[in-house]
Amino acid sequence: MQFTLVVYGAPHGSQGAATALRFARAVLASGHRIYRVFFYGDGIHNGSALAAPPQDEQDLLGQWQALQQEHQLDLTVCIAAAQRRGVLSESEASRLEKPAANLAEGFELAGLGQLAEAAALSDRTVTFGG
Amino acid sequence: MGKSILAICRHAPYGNALAREGLEAVLACAAMDQIPEVLFINDGVFQLLEQNPEGIGEKNLRRNLQALPMFGVETLYVCQRSLETRGVDPDRLVIPGAELKLLQDTGEFIARFDQVLSY
Repeated sequence: MQFTLVVYGAPHGSQGAATALRFARAVLASGHRIYRVFFYGDGIHNGSALAAPPQDEQDLLGQWQALQQEHQLDLTVCIAAAQRRGVLSESEASRLEKPAANLAEGFELAGLGQLAEAAALSDRTVTFGG
Repeated sequence: MGKSILAICRHAPYGNALAREGLEAVLACAAMDQIPEVLFINDGVFQLLEQNPEGIGEKNLRRNLQALPMFGVETLYVCQRSLETRGVDPDRLVIPGAELKLLQDTGEFIARFDQVLSY
């Protein structure tokens, strides 16, 4: 079965962010596929390269990146939601004349159309947080 | 393609950005010819009341709502029980160009759809 995950929960602020990660692992371990993980609302902060949680807490960013590498996951961050909240790729930072870029490796910025497409092409769409 | 999509709007208009971002996602889906049905439930029913958010520096959500019929979302479904428990008179809900339909049994309604996007 093909899944799309939609994440509204900010990392280290909402349980939904960590639950989404564990759900993604469980989906893949069960032999299902993940078409896309779409980060929206406050969930876009999952794509910030600058998160630095204490060593004795889970490193959600590192775990998303490891899962992405292992399964070539599509981790898409909504560009409009990310611009509002300050998660920018190199090209967006330069286009918007901002002093730094912070989109983490393994994540891509894209528009809301990617959510509509993913919902249409997946058997299940599961939402976390919000 | 060709899946039926329901968007559920659950948040009051300005307390959480998901109210606005949910409507933006609805419009984006509709612009891609995947016109969702839209259900307002829980505090989401407050989105349909007259609003005056300039005092808190917010853009009026009404513009997004009024755009829905232009994008093909012509019926807005509203949970009747959510209105009743919040003391909201259905006559106070008006979106020009859209028809409002009150639902008694939202569970049965939601179950009809292939995909549910929740905001």
